[in-house]
Amino acid sequence: MERQTLSRRALLRSTLTALPRSAIVLSMPAILAACSRSAQNQLDGIDLQTLGGDEAEEFAAITDRIIPPDETPGAREAGAVHFMDTVLADQRERELQLLRDGLRDLQTRAGAAFQADKFSLLNAGQQDQLLREIENSEFFATIRYLTVAGMFALPEYGGNRGGAGYQLIGYEPQGGWQPPFGFYDEDYMNRGGQ
Amino acid sequence: MAGASFPTREEVDFVIVGSGAAGGIVARELAVAGHSVVLLEQGPYLQAADFRHDEWGTFHNHDLTWNQRQGHPQTFRKSEDETAVTLESVCDYAHNVGGSSLHFSGNFWRLRPIDFMEASVRGTIAGTNFADWPIRYQDLEPYYSRVDWEVGVSGLQGPWDPPRSRDYPCPPMPVKGSDVLLERGARALGHTAYPAPVAILSQPHNGRPGCIHCGFCLGYGCEVNAKSSSMITMIPAALESGNFELRTLCTVSRVETDDAGRASEVVYFEQDGTEQSQRARAVVICANGAETPRLLLLSESARFPQGLANGSGFVGRNLMFNGGSAVSGLFPEPVNAHKSIPATRVVHDWYEIDPNEGFYGGGGIDGRHPVRSGTPMDAALAGNMFGGPTWGSEFKARLREEFTHTAAFDGHTTSLPLFSNSITLDPQVRDKWGRPAIRCTYMDHPDDLATMRYFMDRSVELMEAAGALRIEASYPENGQDGSSHMLGTCRMGDDPATSVIDRYHRSHDVPNLFMCDGSSLVTSSRGQPTMTIMALAFRAADYINQFAQGNEI
Repeated sequence: MERQTLSRRALLRSTLTALPRSAIVLSMPAILAACSRSAQNQLDGIDLQTLGGDEAEEFAAITDRIIPPDETPGAREAGAVHFMDTVLADQRERELQLLRDGLRDLQTRAGAAFQADKFSLLNAGQQDQLLREIENSEFFATIRYLTVAGMFALPEYGGNRGGAGYQLIGYEPQGGWQPPFGFYDEDYMNRGGQ
Repeated sequence: MAGASFPTREEVDFVIVGSGAAGGIVARELAVAGHSVVLLEQGPYLQAADFRHDEWGTFHNHDLTWNQRQGHPQTFRKSEDETAVTLESVCDYAHNVGGSSLHFSGNFWRLRPIDFMEASVRGTIAGTNFADWPIRYQDLEPYYSRVDWEVGVSGLQGPWDPPRSRDYPCPPMPVKGSDVLLERGARALGHTAYPAPVAILSQPHNGRPGCIHCGFCLGYGCEVNAKSSSMITMIPAALESGNFELRTLCTVSRVETDDAGRASEVVYFEQDGTEQSQRARAVVICANGAETPRLLLLSESARFPQGLANGSGFVGRNLMFNGGSAVSGLFPEPVNAHKSIPATRVVHDWYEIDPNEGFYGGGGIDGRHPVRSGTPMDAALAGNMFGGPTWGSEFKARLREEFTHTAAFDGHTTSLPLFSNSITLDPQVRDKWGRPAIRCTYMDHPDDLATMRYFMDRSVELMEAAGALRIEASYPENGQDGSSHMLGTCRMGDDPATSVIDRYHRSHDVPNLFMCDGSSLVTSSRGQPTMTIMALAFRAADYINQFAQGNEI
């Protein structure tokens, strides 16, 4: 069976349930075409096509708590919000609305708890506290999903800048490898197949 | 290699619907034998240069597998008294020349002699349509060997493998760390891990190169043509025959019959929505175990009110998904199971579960990365796979370890044929061409669930014996809601009351209509059916060619 079992598939099955729309055979040409559209908004000096600059700042702050910066870049530096901006342009209207509604709720919580009108103005501890309150919501599942996907997607989608995701997990994005692939098969070969 | 070009209003010898594991082979065989062949494929003709390591496009935009995003929704329900709902993926298959042979991971286990006669050896099972095949292993063996050599399979004959007339053309793939660990666990417990046969070249063969171990197999097209898809192994030769026309982006909506009840033409939509119809002397449907029954049901008429070729009522019935279990382990040293092909060893010690366990079933266990092919995005989305935070600093800290230091021992198991597990036409949902959508009804038989659990338990034992530091185990205990294996829905048999095609793949009801693909299987295999689908295709083409030459169609 090539399909994984439910628990694993549940993790991998997108929380993004797509909308029935016209056919696109390959996503990349559509996405690249979308990228070339005129952009009105920017984050970090880079054009956005779906998200407004202010909401992009807020989403970027959330992504940075999902994969925080430490010795290696966090999701903000990796440009996960730019990945989100790209894929949300591609038949993901429902998810875009879900994210916008969820952000408004989060901002309301920020105001009530910390008298701030923006999530991005809070410190990391305050941000984590609010995110823990909503971590079982569809909103959080969706932004978590897009953050992780954006960290590791092909950089052409806008995230994984400088291969930040690849560096994080020790993946060399090269075309192929030759054996030995890891410790155990090298050890096996050294022992003559034992 | 432009191929031939035939007018739609003149009869060609054969129209073939679908260019996948079976259709590509049938097309090449019939074209090379001198028949005029038109192959209709709903997807594009993608080739090696089109494929990229694009996880988002592959698994989230469904670039190859298509779903409602591309205008092809499918619906699912567990039982016939529910209303089916559209899911992101149900019957997962690749829409392109080569079909799912393009994106599969190429595990090419032959069936064993027992698979063909299990109902008579093991006994029938009440409430199921468990039955013997009308053919035996020796009938199919020559064609398995043709797949080995003409399609390209790497492996090593083992002492428990069924007899073969020719050795493998390519040696087994180099063992991966995940499979060294499987072998270690198996040895400790007195079991045997043996090199896995795969439709991926370990060395150059038939003008194609060996695998470069990039790791993007499952779900992806091969960038170097080392994977033995029908796109690269069959279609070029068909085009070179001069008797073959490949029409891509053509979606078949109906097979028409004439006053004599014979298939006469195949109606399809071109990419821009123009309706066309190709006349033919005979039609071979190789559209897969979901689309083949769908097309037959769509082709109902006054003469065939239950759908074409459905006098038995078995079209779309007896759907088998294969089952599975997943057991992940964390190891102290780098495994790097994301490198190279998914699986290089398999334990077949439970090919037939002891009947004294109280249920029917069997399968195999292979070593893999815990998350599909273990590619970066997949692996990270599945984190934290052994429990713990799924976001924040601790989550981030675990990602590297889970990517590099894990292995999975996955079970691949049998499914029983049940009349209620089926492909039917959805009464509400339609696709972009206005055709009723595939509606899938499926609930695993209790024995199938017991088999999955049994294999999960065996994998946990193997994982413990291999020295895993942490173990996570699961199987779909509430039943599966989709698969890439759609088997048994137009099954082969001698009795027209309980099968759709005869032992030569000819429809019992329509003499010039043939079906060959996963729908032909009588039983489910042990979870790796494509080798058998390809062998059946070579065999079917052999007989169809003989019938055509003898004027017996």
